[in-house]
Amino acid sequence: MDIATLIQTISNSIVAGSVYAIIAVGLAMAFGVMKMANFAHGEFFMAGAYVVYVFYALFGWPFPAAVLMAIPIVGAMGVATERLIFLPTRGNVLAGFMATAGLAFILQVLVGQTWGVGLMRSVPTPYMGAADILGANIGWQRLLIIPTAFAMLGLLWFFLYHVKAGKALRACAQDPETARLQGIKINRMTMLAMAISGASAGLAGALMAPIHPVTPYMGHGVILTAFIVVILGGMESIAGAVLAAVLLGFIHTFVTTVSDAIVAQMVGVAFMAIVLVVRPQGLLGRVKA
Amino acid sequence: MLSLKDIWIHYGMVAAVKDVSIDVAEGEIVTLIGANGAGKTTTLRAISGLHAPTRGDIVFRGKSISGMTPEQINALGIAMVPEGRRVFPYMTVMENLEMGAYLRTDRTQTRKTLEEIFHHFPVLRERNRQLAGTLSGGQQQMLAIGRALMSEPDLLLLDEPSLGLAPIMIQEIAKIISQLHALGRTIVLVEQNARLALRLAQHGYVMETGQIVLHGVAEELRHNEQVQKTYLGA
Ligand SMILES: Nc1ncnc2c1ncn2[C@@H]1O[C@H](COP(=O)(O)OP(=O)(O)OP(=O)(O)O)[C@@H](O)[C@H]1O
Ligand SMILES: [Mg+2]
Repeated sequence: MDIATLIQTISNSIVAGSVYAIIAVGLAMAFGVMKMANFAHGEFFMAGAYVVYVFYALFGWPFPAAVLMAIPIVGAMGVATERLIFLPTRGNVLAGFMATAGLAFILQVLVGQTWGVGLMRSVPTPYMGAADILGANIGWQRLLIIPTAFAMLGLLWFFLYHVKAGKALRACAQDPETARLQGIKINRMTMLAMAISGASAGLAGALMAPIHPVTPYMGHGVILTAFIVVILGGMESIAGAVLAAVLLGFIHTFVTTVSDAIVAQMVGVAFMAIVLVVRPQGLLGRVKA
Repeated sequence: MLSLKDIWIHYGMVAAVKDVSIDVAEGEIVTLIGANGAGKTTTLRAISGLHAPTRGDIVFRGKSISGMTPEQINALGIAMVPEGRRVFPYMTVMENLEMGAYLRTDRTQTRKTLEEIFHHFPVLRERNRQLAGTLSGGQQQMLAIGRALMSEPDLLLLDEPSLGLAPIMIQEIAKIISQLHALGRTIVLVEQNARLALRLAQHGYVMETGQIVLHGVAEELRHNEQVQKTYLGA
């Protein structure tokens, strides 16, 4: 591997890790507060990409505006999912799984019926050109994802550690019953967690729309990776999810470069399996007393 | 101030609390003692809204609170220190205290409450940036009590504050409870340590397999033959 390819691969790894991080943090957050997994999280990612497709490619809005639209729209989908699925099935993990897996199919069909199946929706690249770093060409469109991820994760961290509502969210994740005894309205907190969760998946999808095939089924590949990242990181740990996302970004990108994407997935899963043998609670997971 | 009126509480089909009535007057400590599994925690959980009674009524300041959510009950001025302390382990001492004051909006008053709590428990001030899960058992108990006090509750529910603590720490907690009483707080104290509980309280209730078998003035209960035999090891 020459130096240009190496730099290319490293930068692609960081981009992939950033995207995984944005997606997985949302999944981990929802799981932490509700103790239920959202199997439609990949479809939230897909929805974010379609928001950009509609507002940017069809309506001709500026790209940043279209990306920003994905945040409230998919965030609202997260809230609706919480009200209509997670609230009625709270505590029943199997029912939550069935219902969100069902929601995933419904969203795929709905999007397919509206904008077509099979045909890839084409989203023109808003930021052409590439940075030239030691002979490696890295597209601006991809590079843009890195500062966005930093900004998003920084904001989330600030919210969780310095804003009262964010701290209450952490309290709910650690001990929901005791949080309620402090007057923290748990039903508000689960809504908030799902709003953040949806918004983050939507943001990731929106950023990927110009550089990833936009189809109703684009959530499939994402959900698998997102779960691997969250399990690897330690289920409820936001920091763990970020760390695991970066690691997996590197593993996937490097293995894909020297081999192919299928092998990369396999290596990623094997890596997770090995980590779980050594640390069953995940990289930064907490051992429950 | 608080009355439990013939309440029944079930876990599935099994009644854990049967026809229990308890009265708590303003400013007093009422203790609920009994062996393991007697139903003490279940009773406290019903008062705080974590487990709704199946029958009977719970009245706080003239208002029925049975069926309300824990959030609503906390807002009315009842705070609970749950069994096993249940501090938020991955939050700092300070953050735990902040959560206790979650519903308060009066910043300067809250600040004053915090100072009072630090005065009661200087160790919490020293360790205010430490993660609560890394505190010792006794320190966690102090934090759990401090957190409950942060809401300036009219009624404080304490579930086995002495459990698992060294004798010196138990004396420390006992001192705090009597100080709180001296300051006019109303407290319901659940304890297995009957000796301690009956020393601190003005009234006591003895619970056995879900029922109140005896109640009265704490001082009299201490000299009751049955209580002495069963709970005081005399
Ligand atoms: N979540 C639950 N599900 C089923 N039964 C329960 C549950 N919690 C408590 N019980 C039962 O209810 C009864 C009363 O339990 P409770 O915890 O109120 O007792 P306690 O007096 O607080 O005991 P201890 O002193 O050991 O804390 C026990 O028989 C217990 O097994
Ligand atoms: Mg108990």
